[in-house]
Formats: sequence, structure tokens, C-alpha cells
Amino acid sequence: MISLWLTSVFPELVLVVAGGVLVLLDAFAPRLRPAMAWLAMATVLAALGLRWALPTPGAVWEGMLLVDGLGRFVDSYILLAAALALLVADPYLARTQSRYGEFFGLLLWAAVGAMTMAKANHLLVVFVGLELLSIALYVLNAFHRESALSLEAGWKYLVVGAFSSAVFVFGAALLYGATGTFALGELASGLSRGWLAVLGVGLLTSALAFKLALFPFHAWAPDVYQGSPTPVTAFLSVVPKGAALVVLARVVAGANPESLTPRWTSTLTALAVGSMVLGNLAAIAQRDLKRMLAYSGIAHMGYALVGLVAFGRDGVAAVLVYLAAYTFMNIAAFAAVAAFSENEEEPHLVTDLAGQGWERPTVSFALSIAMFALAGIPPTVGFVGKFLAFRAAVNANMVPLAVVGVLASLVSVFYYVRVVYYLYMKPLPKRKPAFSEPWAIRLLAVLCLAGMLVLGVFPRKLLELAEGAAAMLAR
Amino acid sequence: MNFLDWPLTTMIFLPAAAGLLLLLVPGRAVALHRWVGLAASLATFAGSLVVLSRFDPQQAAFQLTETAPWLPSLGIAYRVEVDGLSILLVLLTALLQPVVFLSSWGSIHEKVKGYIVAMLFLETGVLGAFLATDMFLFYVFWELMLVPMYFIIGVWGGERRIYAAVKFVLFTLAGSLLMLVAILYMAFAYKTQFGTLSFAYADWLKLHLPMGASFWHSPQMLAFAAFALAYAIKVPVWPLHTWLPDAHTEAPTGGSIILAGVLLKLGTYGLLRFNRTLFPEAWEASRGFFITLAVIAIVYGALVSWAQKDMKRLVAFSSVSHMGFIVLGMFAGGLTATQGALLQMINHGLSTGALFLLVGVVYDRRHTRLIEDYGGLAAVMPVYTGAFLLATLASIGVPLLNGFVGEFLILLGSYQSQPVAAALGATGVILGAVYMLSLVERVFWNALVHEENRSLEDMSLRELASFAPLAVCMVWIGVHPVTFLRLTEATLQKIVGG
Repeated sequence: MISLWLTSVFPELVLVVAGGVLVLLDAFAPRLRPAMAWLAMATVLAALGLRWALPTPGAVWEGMLLVDGLGRFVDSYILLAAALALLVADPYLARTQSRYGEFFGLLLWAAVGAMTMAKANHLLVVFVGLELLSIALYVLNAFHRESALSLEAGWKYLVVGAFSSAVFVFGAALLYGATGTFALGELASGLSRGWLAVLGVGLLTSALAFKLALFPFHAWAPDVYQGSPTPVTAFLSVVPKGAALVVLARVVAGANPESLTPRWTSTLTALAVGSMVLGNLAAIAQRDLKRMLAYSGIAHMGYALVGLVAFGRDGVAAVLVYLAAYTFMNIAAFAAVAAFSENEEEPHLVTDLAGQGWERPTVSFALSIAMFALAGIPPTVGFVGKFLAFRAAVNANMVPLAVVGVLASLVSVFYYVRVVYYLYMKPLPKRKPAFSEPWAIRLLAVLCLAGMLVLGVFPRKLLELAEGAAAMLAR
Repeated sequence: MNFLDWPLTTMIFLPAAAGLLLLLVPGRAVALHRWVGLAASLATFAGSLVVLSRFDPQQAAFQLTETAPWLPSLGIAYRVEVDGLSILLVLLTALLQPVVFLSSWGSIHEKVKGYIVAMLFLETGVLGAFLATDMFLFYVFWELMLVPMYFIIGVWGGERRIYAAVKFVLFTLAGSLLMLVAILYMAFAYKTQFGTLSFAYADWLKLHLPMGASFWHSPQMLAFAAFALAYAIKVPVWPLHTWLPDAHTEAPTGGSIILAGVLLKLGTYGLLRFNRTLFPEAWEASRGFFITLAVIAIVYGALVSWAQKDMKRLVAFSSVSHMGFIVLGMFAGGLTATQGALLQMINHGLSTGALFLLVGVVYDRRHTRLIEDYGGLAAVMPVYTGAFLLATLASIGVPLLNGFVGEFLILLGSYQSQPVAAALGATGVILGAVYMLSLVERVFWNALVHEENRSLEDMSLRELASFAPLAVCMVWIGVHPVTFLRLTEATLQKIVGG
């Protein structure tokens, strides 16, 4: 029994220990700093390999954790995102002279937090994962101690994060009062019992919506995205969202979708529509790339939520594919931002990209494909994600929701395409800054390109994995 | 995989493969890029001839089917096949592409690599869209065209290129995204009626959507409208045409040729292929509406053309008018009018492509497209004048040239059911002669007032070589249209007959 318990969380254990080792190494062997990113990377890849090599026994730790296909899918996504973020991080930290072991340790621990959330079958375990993820991120956001923007980002995320944690705990407490259980799978039994349960689910959803930066809980996102060190933003923009979406999916599934009241569905619909519309409209007005990506992220969580509103196997599979797609697209975009920004203090203006497309072809090409993928244009994986999400909505007899979705993505094309025309169609400014294209960034660009295009043209394997994982929740 | 066993797939992906290969070659090797692009497009043309040689014109149904599983759990497959409706359009696309590459020698001097690669990917998208018979695959190819075209207009275009490029993208996407919802809806409706998922066009033909009492309560009308909007923007049907003059005028010569030659045809192709066969009742119900729009487009496009000062803009607006004819022919019904419409798609591709090519020839020399900057060119550039005259006469429908056959069949066919519309449309033929001949007069016949025009060189061998295939086809269709009509008859009979 003990061995089953241990093997079921072995990848997490590896990451936790490696994180601690990296922090200690920083203190006792600072000469190793240049190698730390690669140590962290090796651990992440090892954890990924272990996750697939070890069996998925289902409920373990007295039913607290669900190490199932769904958990494995989301874990892979989190670890992949962490690995890609590490590739952004190394050249970036080298340039800003802040290659400290804490950075890597915190990143690994944050990943463990997200992985715990993804597999939690118990509200308190969700909370532990959420806190581990958030606390590590508070520090990472403020990692540039000299930068006011970075400190602001850390502070803002801390306040909003602490608040949403409190809301989460309160919601969980109310649910416990209504249902007598913390186990996600058993919530359904007590949900019909009046307003207490409704309030509890409402608070729980709000807290997760904070993490997902869904409208109207999105206000923190632009500032935090802008101020955080770019590799952290890349990590922040995908990992917590995946974890929170899965928790939400598990809550929805646990609450038994057949018994979901129309009110509950319409609440989620409102969140999705609001996020898609507001995110895209506000993104048009942004001059700073990171802020633009923050608003686009709000919109993208809206699209992913469409899949969750539709629910069923189609819907959950759509959410999972969307998350995988979103990882590649968003990290490619942030990698380019990291590569193009010379100085962290300066805003990352879209206009600074003028003419760069012909100067730095690899990164620019990856950025443009990422923009087209985010806009949902085939043959990229972004299109596959949107296609599946809208398909789920149409199949659930929600054609108007799909129409709102496509119209919102039409709006989004305007600002995504703007990035591309600055890259390729505007002349280089007179004062041409000296640019470097570190090999790690170039490798990352190629990996993300391959991810976006290969999965866009041959999505079959990804879709089958997602459908298998979704079958855990719904049929 | 034996390429000869998969001629359609080989033909579709050959340009993209060449494009991928060229991406790896440094941009400095300009000549290499140009020659590889030309060679790939010629090989694709050869591929289209192979397809033609295996094509059986007697057969109305799809043939040369090539299929492979893609996303089986969603009922999506890779499926390309050809029939009488697509064969000519495929040939036209494959013919125009080498012309485009030949023209790039004169018009594209910067970032040649990007241009060639974008053009190659564009060709893959166009050929794929004409040949795909799985709706998901069709949609992928349909949108695949968007990105290269955006770059072609936006990077190598004229002064207002960014405005034109963004407008082109937003207009096109506005239509196609709603079509995506309609495609999803059709797949859903198919599943409800037949129990299995399918995105195959052949399966959807069995589907019958209810008509409902009013527009907003009629699934068939709504789906028809969503499809039709996407295609009507592409055609473009008046009043959705406003992106066209900007995109055509600002695009580089090659971009204009492809845009006018084949991209617009995807709109009319889509209407005939999908709207007509998938939504027959909605097609009947909206006939009057589209015929009205078509007649307006014919007359409006011609009148606006007449007023243009810019040669390219003039040709662009003439496209609005000519495409109006095609829409008129398709909606007027009858085999004759539909055959005329399909032939006119080819004719318009040839003659408007030729006109854009020829405007590009003088633009490369003088870097102006204003009509008033020319005049009296007949004395300086006799060969060029002859070529331009041929394209003009073909465009305005002079007998023994291709335009005449198409317009005649359309008017003949529509007169039987829609005499008023045919009569009004016929004025477009007259107006067409007015604006085109007045263009010829102002550019070629009038006195040579600008001294710099005196030293203009006549067409070079390369320019003649790019024009020659178009000229041959224009005369061929004009003199012996049966060669081409024969290929389309069986399929169109089936489409029109129900």
C-alpha cells in the first residue's frame, strides 16, 4: 500500500526534492548557477517520463488524489509548459543577471502545486495545491526586486490571490456544511439542498475564476502579466489556468451535470461570453504586448470555458485540447517577447517589433504563427482547439454561444494580425538596437512551431488522448 | 507512396513542399528561389494535365478519389476528388501560377524568397479548396489561403498595402467564421438524422434541413445564409465588394493575378458546389435576391470602372461587374446559363489575369498606374499594344474570343427564365466595351504627351512568355469552346437537374 501511495506521486516527489536541491546548490555551490536551468529541465523531463512510465491507479491516498488519465494529461501539459518556460528563462535570467537557484526551485514547486490541483479529489487537497502554486508564484512575480513594475505585479497577485484563496476556503466550508463532504465526487448528493450549496459552489467558482482571470474577475491580469519577469508570465499564463480549469471540470462533473440547474449553466455561459467579448475588445486598445497577451488570455479562457459549458465528453476533450494548444501558442508568444525586449524596465511595445521579421527570422516566424494560431486560423493547433470547443457547443444545442465565440475571434484577428504587420510590413527604425537570438530561444521557437503546426495538421493522437482523459469525467 | 497513384494529392502538396524546401535556403540565392518556384509551378501544371488525362468527362460523379483517415472519431477524413465542376478551375489555377512566377522577375525585387514561398503555399491552399470534399478539409484549405495572401498584399503591395491587407483578412474571415458554425451545425444535424458523425460532402447530400416558417426559424435558410455570406464576400457580390478594389489595387502584379484569377472563383465555386446542392429549397427561395444583387453589381461595377483614373482600380471594378455576370448565370438556373457561368469563371480568370499582368508590365517600367501618365503607347510599344488589345477584346466579349462565349451562354440561359434581369445584365456588356475601349484609347491611341514614355521598351521575351499561354487559351475557348464545355457538361447536368 505504501509503495502504491509513493509511486502514485513519485513524479511530484522528484520535483519537490530537486527544487530543494537547487535552492541549496545556489547557497553552497554558486558556481553551478549556469547549469541550474538544465538541471531543472532534466528533472521536469524525468518527471514527465515517470508520469507516463508509472501506472495510473485512480483513487489513492484514501481517495484524496485521483491519479487517472485526466490527471496524467494535465500533468503532462503542466510539465511541458514548465520545460518550455525554463527554455525562456535561462537566456533571460542570464541577461538580467539573476540566475538564482530560487527561481528554478520555485518554478518546480509551483508546477507541483498545479499538478496536485489537477489530480485532487478533495477540496482541501485542491486548496493545498492552490496555495503551493500561488505562493511560489507570488515570489516569482516579484523576482526582479529592483523593478517597481515587478514588485507591483507580485504585490497585486498576492493580494488578489490571497483574497481568492479565502473565497475558496469559505466556499469549501459552506459546501461542507451543505453536503457533509469535501470529496469532489460526492458533492452531487447534497447539492440540491438549497441556497447554502448554491452559495458554496458560487464562491468556489468565483475563486477559480480569479485564477483563470475570467471576466469579471480579470482585473489583476494585465498588470501582473506586464510586471512579472517574462518567463514567469509565460508560466503564469498557462499553468495555473490548466489546473484551475481541471478543478472546475471536476467540480462540474462531481456536481453531476444532469442535475445542473439552468441557472448554473447560464452563469458559466455568462462568464465565457463576458471573457470572450471583453478580453478581445480590451486587447485591441493595448500598446504593450504583454498586456495585449493578458487580455487575449482572458478571451482564450472564455473559449475554453465554452467547452466546459457544453460539457459531455466532447466538451471536456475540447477543453483539454485547447489547453495543450494554448500552451504552445502562448509560450511561443512570450518567448518572442522575452527575446525582443532589451530592457525589462521599458514597456514591450508592439511598435518595437517594426521590421524585425526580416532581421530575426526564427523567433519572428514563431511569433507570427503563434498569432495566427491564437486567432484560430488553420492549419494550426489553435484552430483545432477552437473547432472542438465550438463543435461541443453546437452539439449541445448552443449555436448562439458558438456564434458569439466566432465573432469574438473575428475581433481578435485584428490585434493578432497587427503584431504580424509590425513584424513584416513596417520598416526597421533608424536606430537599430543590437539584437541577439540566444540558441535556447531559437530552439524554443522551433519546438513551439513544431507543436503548433504538427498538432494542427495531425491532431489525431492529441485528440484521442484528450478523449480518453475526458472519459474519466463524462461520457 | 507512388505519386502517380495519388495525382491529386501530389499536385496539391507539391507547391507547399517546394515552399518548405525553399524556407531552408538562404534568401540571398534570389535566382534559385525564382527558378525553383517556377519549376514547382510548372510541375504542378504538368500534374494537372495528368489529372486531365485520367479524367472521364462522361462521368457526372466525383472521380480519382484519394482518401485517408484523419480524425475518425469526429467523422473527418482526408478526401480529395475531382469532377466536372472543379476540373477547369484546377487547370486554370495551375496555369496561372507559372505566369505569376514569370511576372515576379519584373515586379518583385525585395524579399524574393518570402514572396515565392507565400505564392507556393497559396497555390496549395487554392488547389486544395477546389478539390477537397470533406468539409473540415475544405475549411482548412479555404483559410490556408488567407495567410499567404495577407503577406503578399501587405509586404509586396503598394502604398496603402497594410490597410488593404487587413481589410482583406477581416472581410474574408467575417464570412468564413460564420460558415464554420454552419459546417459544425450541418455535422450535428447529420448526426441527429443518421446517428453517425460525418463531415463528408457526399454524406451531407443525403441530409435535408427543414425549411421552417420564417428566415430566423428555418435551419436550412440560416445555414444557407452562413455559407452564402462566406462565398458572397469572396466573389464579391455587391454590396460586399468594398475590400476588392483595395486588395486588387494594392497587391503586387502576381497577387492581383491570383486574386482575380482564382481566389474570386472560390466564391462562385462554393455557391455552386455547396449552396446549390446542400440547400436546394433555400437556393430557390433566394434566387430573386441574388439575381437582383448580381444585376446591380454588373451595372454598378461597370459604371464605377468607367470613372477610374487608376488602371488597376479600373480592372478591379470591372471584376465586380464580370463576377456579377457569373452570379446571374448561376442563379438564373438552367444548364446553359450554369455552363456559361462556369466557363465565364475561367474566362474572367484568363482575361482579367492577363489585364493585371499587362498593367504590371508598364508599371514595372514607369511605376505609375495612372491612366493620365500614359498615352500614345501604341507607337512606342507595338507588341504590348497588341497584347493589351487582345486581352481587352477578350474581356469585353468580342466574338471568337473567350468572353463572348461565356457571356452569350449566360444571357441566353437567363433570358429564358429571367428576361428582365438578362436585359439589364446585357447593358453591362455594352458598358464594359465603353470603359475598356476608353482605357485603350487613353493609354494607347492618344498623343504621346509624356516624354519619358518615348523611351519605354516593348515587352521582353519573358513577359511575352508569361502572356502567351493566356492568349492561347483565350483564343482557344473563343474558337472552340466545346473542348472545355464537354468536360463540365455531365456534372453540371447533375447539379442543375437536382
